[in-house]
Amino acid sequence: MAYLDIKNVVKHYEGHTALAGVSMEVPEGCIYGLLGPNGAGKSTLIRIINRIITADEGTVTLNGRKMTDNDITHIGYLPEERGLYKKMKVGDHIVYLGRLKGMTKADAVASMHWWLDRFDLKEWENKKVEELSKGMQQKVQFIGTVIHRPPLLIFDEPFSGFDPVNAEQLKVEILALRDQGSTILFSTHNMASVEEVCQQITLLNHAQVVLTGSVDEVKQQHKKNIIAVQTPDKIEPNAAVFTLLPPDPVKKADTRIKLAPGVPVRDAIAWLNEHYRLTGFTEVLPSMNEIFIETVKSKNTEQQ
Amino acid sequence: MNKLRLIIAREYMSIVGRKSFIIMTLLFPFLMIALGSIPIVTAYLNDKGDQTQQIAVIDETGRYAAALPNDNKFNFVAIKGDTVTNAREFYDRANGSISAIVIIPRDVDSTGVVNIYSEGTIIPALESTIKSALTDTIESAHLAAMGIPNLQQIVEKAHVNIDIHAIKWSDTGDEEESSTDIAIFLGIALSVIIFWFVFFSGTMIMNNVVEEKTNRIVEVVVSSCRPFQLMMGKIIGVGLSVLTQMAIWIVLLGIAGTIGGSLLGMTGSVPTPDMMGAGAAVTPEVESEFSSFMRQALAINYTPIIINFLLYFVEGYLLYCAIFAALGSAVDQASDTSQLLTPVMLLMFFAMYAAMGCVENPDGPMAFWCSIIPFTSPTVMMVRLPFDVPLWQIILSHVLLIATALAIVWLAARIYRRGILSYGKKASFKDLFNWLK
Repeated sequence: MAYLDIKNVVKHYEGHTALAGVSMEVPEGCIYGLLGPNGAGKSTLIRIINRIITADEGTVTLNGRKMTDNDITHIGYLPEERGLYKKMKVGDHIVYLGRLKGMTKADAVASMHWWLDRFDLKEWENKKVEELSKGMQQKVQFIGTVIHRPPLLIFDEPFSGFDPVNAEQLKVEILALRDQGSTILFSTHNMASVEEVCQQITLLNHAQVVLTGSVDEVKQQHKKNIIAVQTPDKIEPNAAVFTLLPPDPVKKADTRIKLAPGVPVRDAIAWLNEHYRLTGFTEVLPSMNEIFIETVKSKNTEQQ
Repeated sequence: MNKLRLIIAREYMSIVGRKSFIIMTLLFPFLMIALGSIPIVTAYLNDKGDQTQQIAVIDETGRYAAALPNDNKFNFVAIKGDTVTNAREFYDRANGSISAIVIIPRDVDSTGVVNIYSEGTIIPALESTIKSALTDTIESAHLAAMGIPNLQQIVEKAHVNIDIHAIKWSDTGDEEESSTDIAIFLGIALSVIIFWFVFFSGTMIMNNVVEEKTNRIVEVVVSSCRPFQLMMGKIIGVGLSVLTQMAIWIVLLGIAGTIGGSLLGMTGSVPTPDMMGAGAAVTPEVESEFSSFMRQALAINYTPIIINFLLYFVEGYLLYCAIFAALGSAVDQASDTSQLLTPVMLLMFFAMYAAMGCVENPDGPMAFWCSIIPFTSPTVMMVRLPFDVPLWQIILSHVLLIATALAIVWLAARIYRRGILSYGKKASFKDLFNWLK
């Protein structure tokens, strides 16, 4: 049973459909990537899960029960567009967000101190938010999202606005939260970060799910049977076994071959090993970025 | 409920904790006192600062010039021999050393007309000085000319000055002295207070909503509470801060009144020697005017007025502030509000002007309808209340206003929850209407 189970969610706005029957199953304790181009319906779906807006049709089940308004205390939400009350003090602000999520004042204050300490923001507790640098404000926002230790976390583009050092710190924190049992829904365009942290993904395009599964599965599904071969010799194409591809535009070192349909990898390697001095080989799996672009583009042409 | 309280507390503290709020709250009464005392100060400076003006008097009758009193403001100098025709020449010759020429014509006894010539503006004080001095003197001269002994005293005895004391019969049959002036003043003052505070808070709420939206904090907050709670929390929080400000002002006013009263009492009890003569005649009159004012002011039944004021304040506040909140949610930046705001402002100003208009006839049809119709009733009914409005009208007005306010809050909440999450395009009234669905 999935921790967060979304079934056939439909949402119409005047003039367009934001979600046309979207289903998604997020298992407990994983980092789940919600991907899709702009306008695909990600934000709408996230807002429905957060109960900011209601779905026209379909159900959202959390931990086996249909979600109610009280469940929002079990969610921590970091929206893509960040915002804080500029005139509020950092400490007060974090406590306020924690208490809005149902924490007692004492709990919220204790938790606020713990997190400020962890992010080296202790001396900023009594400063106004507007006095902080942008990076520090982002950290405060992150603390405000996780302060009540919610079992479900929803991050919309969490790394935007962070420099690499802070982004790394954030990644460590997100992974730590997962290890402590939180389920994390992660919405992003940044495919590199998807490969780094996500176990499973769902790709939305034009209000529909176009791709879903674990990152490894998806990559296997989309592999093009390309092998990068390392050899000092010059390989000649052999149409029965493989065709030669132009070298990788970035790393020019390897020779890239595409296997002919139906030829298993081991046969091709055996054949190559026989004819050339093979020093190494790797199967080239497509990056999430390539899969994203390919899927979105092909679906768009299908529609036209 | 708990969340609503949290939001109210945050909104309240975000306003009351602001330095500008504290400064404004403490300074405003002093500013008002300063503004109010400007006319007194300028009058005082005019009195003291100006040197005595020389006024030439051409008395063609030869009898009345002496009646004009010389004081530290005006020094009247009678000129012999000059006639009206060369007065101008005389004025020019004086080369600014005299500021006006008064000509008392030969036929003043029958026409009662006196002319003042000057190149500058003739100040009202000069006119009134001449008028009162000559009226009395010429009147006495006329009476003396009748040749009837003791006529002066007879006329003085016959002379009456009508003073109106309006007596109102209360339900219990007691007689109470009432004053329409005080009632009118009270009605308008309370009406203006409602208008001003609702307007002031409404714009504040609207700007807060826009700010939360541009800040993007709103999405974080509504992922923790319902948009309705945020909207109501804001409306209530701002309302409480405004009431706090009012309460502080009332306390300050009370303190200022007590101090001012005791200061006045002190100076009043130690009359200066030169006041003794004139003061003896004037003081009792002032005293009785003041006490009759107090008597009349106290005769007004304040309890229903205060209760109704608070009710109308809360209901009108809710009605209009919900609209302001909804409008704030529909735009991305404060400068975009003007187009949507215009109809609401027109409505509010109409409510204020209707209230002013109803002063003339607080029982007329215009006053009646405007005090029943919800959008104008808070301000208009406040003007009517001191004039004893039938209870059924008050109840009807409240019921309609409460019902409308709740309906507006409900509609505003529907617009608000859509508005706060929609960015990019400026919402029109058509969009707002669509969001209601």
